[in-house]
Amino acid sequence: MIALTVQKKLNGPNGDMLLDLDIQIKKGQLVTLYGASGAGKTSTLRILSGLLQPEKGTIQVNGAIWFDAVTKMNRTPQTRNIGYVFQDYALFPHMTVEENLSFGLSKDGDKKEVMELLEMMELVDLKDRKPVTLSGGQKQRVALARALVQKPTILLLDEPLSALDMKIRLKLQDYILKVHKVYALTTILISHDIGEIYKLSDQVFVLEDGKVIKNGTPTEVFLNDKISGKFKFKGEVLKIEKDEVVYLVTVLIQNEVVKVIAQESEIKQLQIGDRVLVASKAFNPVIYKIE
Amino acid sequence: MNRLQGDIVQIETSGHLSIVSVMVSKALILKAIVVETPKTAPYLKEGNSIAVLFKETEVIIGTDQVDTISLQNKIPSTISQVEKGTLLSKLSLTTGQAGITAIISTKAVTQLNLTPDSKVIAMIKLNEMMLSEL
Repeated sequence: MIALTVQKKLNGPNGDMLLDLDIQIKKGQLVTLYGASGAGKTSTLRILSGLLQPEKGTIQVNGAIWFDAVTKMNRTPQTRNIGYVFQDYALFPHMTVEENLSFGLSKDGDKKEVMELLEMMELVDLKDRKPVTLSGGQKQRVALARALVQKPTILLLDEPLSALDMKIRLKLQDYILKVHKVYALTTILISHDIGEIYKLSDQVFVLEDGKVIKNGTPTEVFLNDKISGKFKFKGEVLKIEKDEVVYLVTVLIQNEVVKVIAQESEIKQLQIGDRVLVASKAFNPVIYKIE
Repeated sequence: MNRLQGDIVQIETSGHLSIVSVMVSKALILKAIVVETPKTAPYLKEGNSIAVLFKETEVIIGTDQVDTISLQNKIPSTISQVEKGTLLSKLSLTTGQAGITAIISTKAVTQLNLTPDSKVIAMIKLNEMMLSEL
């Protein structure tokens, strides 16, 4: 359990802002911080990792106090055992993939762990390459593997996939889920991609001007109760075809393709590639066992 | 999606389900059954304004007395336009101040002799009605 109760004055894009948080994250959860730029998301990760010191409050992780403004207790970043991945990879350019990983190894660390990570992240074939010869997705896999070398208990991901194209993103998301589970991490992700948040997160905290204005599962946070239908999915429009007096809209939802009959008035605002909500009532679908 | 606005006048709840009555006009009350209760959905409150949504393809059209039918939502309307396709036709209907659309089979349009200015009853099942917060 991470209990973060802190206050910190920040210089936001709109002037001074008070980051005022009271967040609890259960062990083993993958949570996302969501919100506009300057809402305090990255500062939250920096405070948790010890790179930024709050003025007031406490940070407790699994019962241990990492920070207490009153008693001046403040663990150094090195002793907090946190893995951190940024958007811009931050790899050492003069080192090979394997050396980049080994560099993060503690003195009594085991080379076997590096090999294990290389295998899990499917980097074995690339282990002697320098970062400059790698694609963005490969670099980010290396960065993710390197963040895990020291066996952190907490993984912080600051928009790690936002520079990558959709296909690579989907693949990297699978890697993130895999390491989160295999290493029993508590992971905090910053992301603006709602599809990604749905796929990865157990819980979402929505930040605005330094405060959590909403939290819950992705469904609770993003779908809300604006529409009462209980059979709701988000997807992407693949195709729009006219059939007589109606339109047939093909929508990609996760890996499944579904079709929805729509009206001209609904089609007017729709384009191929748009994100859409497909909703029906819980009364309509039929359900049957497939094995 | 057809959308009519009104005020919640009654909520009957049992277990996870509620039947919500929405007064669209003095003469027209529409009902929706939802998997929500006032506890799970704070917008379910008598007096609250709300939108009732239903799909054009879920509208049933009758021309006569329809008192012996189980459908809870019956909207007296006048056809303003008929757009015929081979299999399906689109009917534009007016009811009070509002307009709704129905998609029914072209065969039914012929059988019932539906033309502009025909008086009809548009019917929608309770469980085809969705609610949307304003």
